[in-house]
Amino acid sequence: MQQQDRGDADHHDGTADAAPGGYGDRRRPGELAFALTMVAGSAVLVWNAYGISGFSSMSSAGAVPLALTAVMALSALVIALQTLRRRRVATETLVRDILPPMVIVLGLGLLAFGLLLEPLGFVPTAALFLVGAIRILARCRWRVALSVGLGSLLVIWLVFRLVFTVLLPPGLLPEAELIGALRALMGGA
Amino acid sequence: MKTFLAGLALLAVTTTAALAADDFPKKEIQGVIQWGAGGSTDTVMRAVTPHAAEALGGSIVMQNKTGGVGAIALRYVQSQKADGYTLLMGAENPQMYKVLGLGSEDYNDMIPINVLARGVPMFVANNDAPYSTMSEFVDYAKAHPGEVRVGSTGPGGLTSIVLAMLTSQVDIEFTRVPYDGDGPALTALQGGALDVMPVVLGAGIEAVKAGRMKVIGLVDVAENPLLPGVEPITKSFPGFANYLPWGPFFGVFVKKGTPAPVVEKLQAAFAEGAQNPDFQKLMKDRGFIVMSLAGDQAMEFLDSYRSTSSWLVHDAGFAKKSPEEFGIPKP
Amino acid sequence: METLLAFLTIFTQPELLLLVGLGTFAGVYVGAIPGLSVTMAVSILISFTFSWPVYPAIALMIGIYMGGVYGGSRTAILLNIPGAPSAIATAMDGYPMAQRGEAGEAIGITTVMSFLGGFVGIAVLALAAPYVSDFALTFQPRDYMLLAVLGILLVGSLSSGSLIKGIFAGALGLVIGCVGMDPLTFDERFTFGVPLLQSGISFIAVMIGMFGVSEALLQLHHLQAPVVRQKIDRIVPHWSSLRRHLPLSLQSSTIGVLIGALPGTGGDIAALMAYDHAKRVTRNPSRSFGTGAIEGLVAPESANNAAVGGAFIPMMTLGIPGDAVTAIMIGALYIHGLNPGPMLMVDQPGMFWFIVGALVMANVFILIFGLTGIRIFTKIVEIPRAFLIPLILLLSIVGAYAVNNAVTDVYWMLGFGLLGYFMRHYGYPLGPVILGVILSRLLDDNWRRAIISERGDLGAFFGGLFSSPLSTVLLLVIVAIFVSQTPLPRLLAARLHRHRAA
Repeated sequence: MQQQDRGDADHHDGTADAAPGGYGDRRRPGELAFALTMVAGSAVLVWNAYGISGFSSMSSAGAVPLALTAVMALSALVIALQTLRRRRVATETLVRDILPPMVIVLGLGLLAFGLLLEPLGFVPTAALFLVGAIRILARCRWRVALSVGLGSLLVIWLVFRLVFTVLLPPGLLPEAELIGALRALMGGA
Repeated sequence: MKTFLAGLALLAVTTTAALAADDFPKKEIQGVIQWGAGGSTDTVMRAVTPHAAEALGGSIVMQNKTGGVGAIALRYVQSQKADGYTLLMGAENPQMYKVLGLGSEDYNDMIPINVLARGVPMFVANNDAPYSTMSEFVDYAKAHPGEVRVGSTGPGGLTSIVLAMLTSQVDIEFTRVPYDGDGPALTALQGGALDVMPVVLGAGIEAVKAGRMKVIGLVDVAENPLLPGVEPITKSFPGFANYLPWGPFFGVFVKKGTPAPVVEKLQAAFAEGAQNPDFQKLMKDRGFIVMSLAGDQAMEFLDSYRSTSSWLVHDAGFAKKSPEEFGIPKP
Repeated sequence: METLLAFLTIFTQPELLLLVGLGTFAGVYVGAIPGLSVTMAVSILISFTFSWPVYPAIALMIGIYMGGVYGGSRTAILLNIPGAPSAIATAMDGYPMAQRGEAGEAIGITTVMSFLGGFVGIAVLALAAPYVSDFALTFQPRDYMLLAVLGILLVGSLSSGSLIKGIFAGALGLVIGCVGMDPLTFDERFTFGVPLLQSGISFIAVMIGMFGVSEALLQLHHLQAPVVRQKIDRIVPHWSSLRRHLPLSLQSSTIGVLIGALPGTGGDIAALMAYDHAKRVTRNPSRSFGTGAIEGLVAPESANNAAVGGAFIPMMTLGIPGDAVTAIMIGALYIHGLNPGPMLMVDQPGMFWFIVGALVMANVFILIFGLTGIRIFTKIVEIPRAFLIPLILLLSIVGAYAVNNAVTDVYWMLGFGLLGYFMRHYGYPLGPVILGVILSRLLDDNWRRAIISERGDLGAFFGGLFSSPLSTVLLLVIVAIFVSQTPLPRLLAARLHRHRAA
């Protein structure tokens, strides 16, 4: 089956890796901008790689990075030129097919997660994110979102924090004290 | 009003400090290991900490935080509260951060809880190498400048410093092939990709015992019980005595400003942990000399390590900054 | 006789048997959850089993290791999110099968092939460990570099869409692997002066972001799409199907053992190489590769489990770790008062045979746990996406954090998730990115070592390619694959032909 003949809505049948999305002969909304961004990004990296040790020697720390970034920049350039020559897909729009509102909302949610993780701590941030995301995506009642979200968070927290002792940022929650008290209680009993 | 608030704050600080000392530890302690899981620092710390935790009557959760030759872990611990709940478990590397431009802080900016043990460096060589002692090796290297391939573990690493000691005594040239640790380098030595490698005794002892590589020199002032018959390097190169005894070490540290009673509790716990026979056996088998230093003795050891290594590195020409800039005295 | 007794220890002591079983069971879940890794689990077990005798501690660790390598395939098949790096190749044909409702069959064949591969690995460990480790030692920096080049050629078979986009993706991955403080010279590379970037970008964070987050975001497009019902009546594969795939499984296992035994390369590279191998040697795949070919599951799953036995070879014979997990196990042996090294086999052959026995048992447990309880696993895919997606995202964040206990990795993971999302939309393959990250250090470090060893003399370097038989063979394989796989020589030939005709 040719990629462009697939009938699925996002031109992506889920076999993401071996058969990536996109069309063979036309460009999707935003594809050119993405290709140009990659060219610009690679150019910055080439410059940065040159700064590591210049052309000093074949075995310097910067030699391989310089060669690799050069390959990146060249291939990005070829891709951009190819994309430029292609006609745009007439039936698609950026908002509907590439970045629907739901993706933007969840993307912003992830960004907020990253920013709040340290100041607020893992448990409160994750609770906000999980309950909020489930509420928005499933359009279910608050009661359902709260119980599913907090319930699964508890399981994840127990597995990672207690069993695997991953010390996630505690933030506002006095986690260590809580666990200390819990241990004392168990040990004392 | 202002004075009242200030007084209140002061009261709060003093009471928490007093409390912190009284019932320390009242929550679990975090031990940040500078190197990755499976490395020698990791092994040593995981072997001693449970005993120390038992002596302390609390729990210590260890996690590995790698990167930046250990600088990431050090910076992390220094960014936490000075309450004794975050320990840095590291090796000798931070003592070179300043001169190598890898960081602005080292162990002298922290409080040592316990400098657990010190390693003894040795020179090992590929079995097929046409030399078996240090003097033969030096003669060969002189006759074949640049031909001997020596493993190196980065500027400031053990190999660079031991080689700097050697080149300060004799004028020889090597090809230094970089490896990211002594493990991979010793593997390469066995496979013939390297000829010689200065390495801490414990890392190579098992392979030496099995006859997979040979020891050509012991970088210490006295013979080692694990290597009977190998004479100390000072016999052929007396100049080494200026630098020795010298060796990589492992230690546990806390941020400066940690209340003294808490520090004392931790020091007592780790001192007891280090006495554990299992730990002692582990260290002896791996050729480490258990020191278990704290307080002034630890500071003295750390200072001496830093000044010897920093000036060696500086004189060998690969320091980014002069030790003088940081007030590191000449040894 | 003594060796036989040591080998049988595990089977005669119910307590040890139970521990291996428990470990394998837990390992399957550890492996299946993208944020949990075997390395992490084994590292924690060191503290946990600190006061135990050595046999039970090792038994538990081996169970987790075996189970974990196998478990990575579960989420790869069901969710297109590899639970572990060694399952990346498994997702490529496993997920399309799940989309057709054939998850049960995919898991069944994966289990049996993991079992087979595991046995090949153990057999080589038991029978030929000293020879294999001596062979592994003969690999010089130059040979490791050639191996990396060989790996990079896989970009061709991992990017079925546009080759040039695959090349871009591969180069991107290799560059990602260079970020941070160079471990050889301590030079900073691509850190832009930010100290937090010194520790580099964790490869697990890239993988979780590119596969987990971008997949979850992509799934948002069909929130309302009906859930695929899975047929789970045919789990145990047919005998005829097994017999047909046996040769491929054995070949892939051989790749797995060898790559696993080399210090510095492991199951992840082995699985990708085996996938590429399957693509090249299979004349009539059950479906074309990338759309649910059984062969695309057989090869990587045989290889990655065979690599487990392989990784134990240098560990047991030389005290040199074959991968990250065996490195931690060496530490564990030290802590339990043993001295892993070349003398271990001489002084305590019992330990060696005990480990072999435990591995055999763990492998059997894989077959047992793998073929049962699939129903519960397949239920995961049937959870409504609106609940599943936020959970996947949360697990991705926790997993990225857990790699090095650093928030930096969470940021990287999210960044690569976003990048991966766009790359998928615009037809850039993601496999080569991960391949690049895995191979980056292998290529860069060994290139520099090889050149420095020849004192910067390029002539001597190329001379070395032909004076060492191993290097020459590797070079020939590279040339052969390059000629047969990439369109470049064919294009050149065509152009030449046209030239002559004109």
